Amino acid sequence: MSTAAPPQKAPPPRERTGGRLSNGAFALLLTAPGLALFAAIIFYPLLSALFTGFFRQDLRLAGREFVGLDNFAYWLDGDFLTILEQTLVFTVGATLVPFVIGFALALALNTGLKGSGFLRGLFLFPWVIPGVVVSFLWMWIFNANYGVLNGVLMKAGFIEESVAWLGQPGTAMLAVIVTKTWASFPWMMVMLLAGLQTVPRELHEAASMDGAGSIRRFFAVTWPQVRGVASIVLLLEFIWNFQHFDTIYVLTGGGPAGTTETFATAVYQTAFKGFDIGRATALGGLWMLLLLLLVAVYLRITERKGDA
Amino acid sequence: MTTSGISRRGALRMFGIGALGAVGAGVLGACAPSGAGSPSNGGDPKSKDFDFTSWSLNEEAAKPSIEKIIAAWEKAEKSTIRAVSYPYNEYLSQLTLKLGGGETTGAVHLDIAWLAAMAQMGKLVDLGSVAGKGGYTDVALKSGTYDGKHYGLPWNTGSIGVIANSQLLEKAGIKEHPTTVEEFESALRELKGLGGGVVPYAAATKVAQLKDIFPWMQTFGCAMLDGGKVTIGDDASVDAVTWYKKLHDEKLIAADVDRFDARALFGQGKAAFYDDAIIGKGVTSAQSKDKTLADAMQPMERPVLKAGDTPQALLWGGVIAIVKGKGQDAATEFALHTTTDRATTSEYFAARALPPSTTAGLAAPEVAKDTFTTEWTRKITSTATGSPFWQFAQNAQIEEAVAKQVQAVLVGKSKPKDAMKQAGEEAAALIKR
Repeated sequence: MSTAAPPQKAPPPRERTGGRLSNGAFALLLTAPGLALFAAIIFYPLLSALFTGFFRQDLRLAGREFVGLDNFAYWLDGDFLTILEQTLVFTVGATLVPFVIGFALALALNTGLKGSGFLRGLFLFPWVIPGVVVSFLWMWIFNANYGVLNGVLMKAGFIEESVAWLGQPGTAMLAVIVTKTWASFPWMMVMLLAGLQTVPRELHEAASMDGAGSIRRFFAVTWPQVRGVASIVLLLEFIWNFQHFDTIYVLTGGGPAGTTETFATAVYQTAFKGFDIGRATALGGLWMLLLLLLVAVYLRITERKGDA
Repeated sequence: MTTSGISRRGALRMFGIGALGAVGAGVLGACAPSGAGSPSNGGDPKSKDFDFTSWSLNEEAAKPSIEKIIAAWEKAEKSTIRAVSYPYNEYLSQLTLKLGGGETTGAVHLDIAWLAAMAQMGKLVDLGSVAGKGGYTDVALKSGTYDGKHYGLPWNTGSIGVIANSQLLEKAGIKEHPTTVEEFESALRELKGLGGGVVPYAAATKVAQLKDIFPWMQTFGCAMLDGGKVTIGDDASVDAVTWYKKLHDEKLIAADVDRFDARALFGQGKAAFYDDAIIGKGVTSAQSKDKTLADAMQPMERPVLKAGDTPQALLWGGVIAIVKGKGQDAATEFALHTTTDRATTSEYFAARALPPSTTAGLAAPEVAKDTFTTEWTRKITSTATGSPFWQFAQNAQIEEAVAKQVQAVLVGKSKPKDAMKQAGEEAAALIKR
């Protein structure tokens, strides 16, 4: 008796992968041109600039001399802490003040008051004006000798003599922060308004029925819902302000007597007024390290939000 | 294992595109400006077309008359001149970058204070063979010289001095120009008494023009540089800055003023004195609504510390330099024509009140008969000297280092003695670099 072997199922044809790419390889391939360009126009100049920090080099002249860590020591033994402090004062001021104003306006516009669409457009106006133009505009307003602000304050009897808003250490930084606030509160307002509009109305109604007043509702309902957007907005604005240049340069050029000097203006002045490219890139390197810390915080926050 | 569905051939194609992108970026890099190391900025030196770079093309009062010179040249030579400009306060840094990067060619208008810095970049043509043909005055010719070579053909030569508003002086009961520092201070107090927001002396207090304090330092007896040694920080310089601070604190000079603010204040009849070059009359009166202001503007000898001292003033002027490379021959001819052609210099003088730099140009009746110009030459230019720091490529940085320290004193961040010591040390370090 012979037993017939049960018919064997033919093995499935082997999947041909030799001519195909894995998703990972494909992704790498797609990003390769971008990475190549990034390397050529960002990464190489960046490394080159950092490398220059170890040389004494005049922007006007050919040749350079290796000086080790001298350029870094020049800053760390000199003005680094002062510049850092001033950069932080500007950054914190120019982040928090527009945030408060932007949030207040966003809350007001979110109530659905009449003409809120028009007001939203109107408030966006400062944001669409180029930063340099905004700075020039405010420079005229703050001008010590024929500025509008002094004229108005004198007419109103608040001051008897002109104040050099941009020419005094105390008021110069304030003036710079006011100008930057005017330019950046609309962006914050729009972002926060978008966040506020995602808060379900039912939550507010339920809280009201439970007897919560407007302040309690803000802290118990609104804030927890927009905290994520607010933290991103604050952090992004903080990072941008940490690198901000045009407002400060146009209004004060880092003066008077260096009291509004930030990393951005100091690097510019050193490189393009002092032509000392070695010291400028050394300061740029130190500045970049601090910025990397901020970027790490930003990535951490966005990652957390992504995981949630 | 998941696959993307792309074939090796397709992948290779994409990789090829990526490689092309990278090569393109490399090419971009290779096309980048040649940098400070290259002696010429490239192009055909025989080309009839060239660039002309000047800060004056950025100023409303000056632009039309320079454009007229350019248009006349283009018509006569059937060539094209590309006009390039940057604002005065940004000019040096912009020009340095563009020149170093190989982007600037042709003729370049330079303040005489910047000649050393530009010449050291090694990109300017030695104009020795043509400078002698121009009939320039000795002082003018010297202003275009660095390290024994003629790098600039002098266009205008004058000085920076004090301009007074005779109407305001009269209002305050001041009959004659003050001649000593003491008299000057008294006059400023009288003028302050007029009220109405009058700034008696619109002296520079912003860093950009605080180099104007140098003649005051010299007035107080500071040589600034003596046998290669920086003397800023000596008693005379400290006295000068202490005095300047006193004027600032008594509001006899105003905070936050540069040349442009000073001209505006003077033009509004709100300043009785300010420092400017001879060009100031044309610029300030043109922007003033008061059509009688031009007649009220008077050049004034800078007050001296004690009677008998020599009034101090800073030489001032512009030269036209030529960049090695495209159009250098035609640009040289253009520079020679612009600075020496009698009709051109006379017309330019009529438009801008800027005296020419040639003996023939100065002898032209319209120049010789101009009271303001002759008075200016007699009272200010006759004793003017160049800054001792002009010989150094780091002149601009030295001026800025001193200016920053003076400003620190004015705003109360530093004491005059400490600030001047620091300024002197910084200047000395910059010279050594």
